[in-house]
Amino acid sequence: MKLLTHNLLSSHVRGVGPRGFPLRLQATEVRINPVEFNPDFVARMIPKVEWAALLEAADTLHLVEVPKGPIEGYEHDEKFLRQMHHVLLEVRTGPSLASLATAG
Amino acid sequence: MLFSLKSPNNSRREGLIRNLGSTANMSDVQEAPNQLLDVNLHENWSCIQATESGPRSESEHLQVTIGATVPTGFEQTAADEVREKLGSSCKISKDRGKIYFDISVESLAQVHCLRSVDNLFVVVKEFKDYQFKETKEEVLKDFEELAGKLPWSDPLKVWKINTNFKKKKTKRKKIKQNADSHILDYYENPAIKEEISTLVGDDLASYKDEKDESSKEETQSKMLKFRVTCNRAGEKHCFSSNEAARDFGGAVQDYFKWKADMTNFDVEVLLNIHDSEIVVGIALTEESLHRRNITHFGPTTLRSTLAYGMLRLCAPQPTDIIVDPMCGTGAIPIEGATEWSNCYHIAGDNNPLAVDRAANNISSLLTKSQIKEGEVSWGLPIDAVQWDICNLPLRTGTVDIIVTDMPFGKRMGSKKRNWNLYPACLREMSRVCRPGTGRAALLTQDKKCFIKALSGMGHVWRKVHTVWVNIGGLHAAVYLLKRTPQAFVHPSEQDGERTPW
Repeated sequence: MKLLTHNLLSSHVRGVGPRGFPLRLQATEVRINPVEFNPDFVARMIPKVEWAALLEAADTLHLVEVPKGPIEGYEHDEKFLRQMHHVLLEVRTGPSLASLATAG
Repeated sequence: MLFSLKSPNNSRREGLIRNLGSTANMSDVQEAPNQLLDVNLHENWSCIQATESGPRSESEHLQVTIGATVPTGFEQTAADEVREKLGSSCKISKDRGKIYFDISVESLAQVHCLRSVDNLFVVVKEFKDYQFKETKEEVLKDFEELAGKLPWSDPLKVWKINTNFKKKKTKRKKIKQNADSHILDYYENPAIKEEISTLVGDDLASYKDEKDESSKEETQSKMLKFRVTCNRAGEKHCFSSNEAARDFGGAVQDYFKWKADMTNFDVEVLLNIHDSEIVVGIALTEESLHRRNITHFGPTTLRSTLAYGMLRLCAPQPTDIIVDPMCGTGAIPIEGATEWSNCYHIAGDNNPLAVDRAANNISSLLTKSQIKEGEVSWGLPIDAVQWDICNLPLRTGTVDIIVTDMPFGKRMGSKKRNWNLYPACLREMSRVCRPGTGRAALLTQDKKCFIKALSGMGHVWRKVHTVWVNIGGLHAAVYLLKRTPQAFVHPSEQDGERTPW
């Protein structure tokens, strides 16, 4: 799945709270495929991004050039948007079954 | 609590999951035999005649009335699409699944791009209040005489242009298939859509000076094969549709000197009779457009036109997150990703087979949408995931639109199971759906169970509209729900456990 999808998912564990934990990813299976850049689309997705989960995923997958958070004026910053476009839509991977947390 | 996330891919290894998302791995994808895949024409424009002045002017301003069949109940939605894409207003045959609109013949190709219509025809003549005579013999005699009095000329021109258009597509397909293993979709690629009217314009120009061999034969010989299809509805008719088709058809044959052929016809004449309303038309589509996106069928695959209608009801806005939590073969998210490519679509199902099929359908579509080797693929904004509808692994309040085909309990699941499933679904969907702005379009035949399940959810769901539809003979409904502004409260945080009823 794309990292954007991964970012929208969480392990919804009852009793833990509405957010739950982000899904853990395994670095073994990563693919990059080019996707047409649509700055408007990316810019509007930024507010929906759960940054902690995204950074953890990027870290696990050893991705470089991942912004640490939304910067001021990001809507017009092409470099930022292209980096986010790459991370969210061009990186594909899969989660691991074994890494899902259970409530204590 | 553990739940599984599986990949829609044939090779499943323990602990490692791959998920087919944006681009197909070509070696894995089986090209399913599917004659419904349309073909891309754009590359070899050189084959098209350069437009010439002169004989063009007459055909250029040809205005015709087009009739379209649409899923019953979605006539208004289809009319909205026509207005949006063609700028024409429609006359709606409410609850009869038909709409009518006028276009100039240059827009013909764009008409084929409409996503809410199943079949298209050009209207020859409409009788709003046909006077049927008393006896069967007299009525049938009238039909015979009618054949020679109808204004066939313009509709037949349209039919011819339409046929040439389709012929060129088939020709290109053959060229394409030799050169390139990818089958590209003519209509899906937005870059192509702009050039569509150019093609029709060129057809109009070359209409008079034919260089195309096959159509030349046609014009000269005029030995077309035809058949008449009659649909009759109404209680006061003293004749059957077969009799009408037979006698009307006989007269058409005499008039045009065409050859009657029920299976291998060039021209399909439509005789639609509804009470005292008669519409005579010529078909422009051969097979129904409604299975266009689905190459891998499942047991209960939804018509693409119906999927489109349901999505449109929700009025998707740019970058909306649109989810089908019981996607089956993925008909709905695939239609969504094609038509609303500025939204993000997620297809999910608890059945790994279904997720597999959905992923395969996505791959087929992606094959179609690639322009050339080496160029950036469009990469449709869609993903497929395996999950449990009652415990969705989605963050609370992140989904803008939910569109799904809920198990009817007839071919899939059971009515008894629905009594527990429906409330659980509605509850979980209310959690993931964005409060205030979120909405859902849910199709079901088990209306009783649905309404009951909904009655306990007034604090999160508000029913705003119901569309009555017919699914393979079953009377079903699409319920349009709005998510109230109230935030989702976890059951464990409430006093006592909430019961479904």
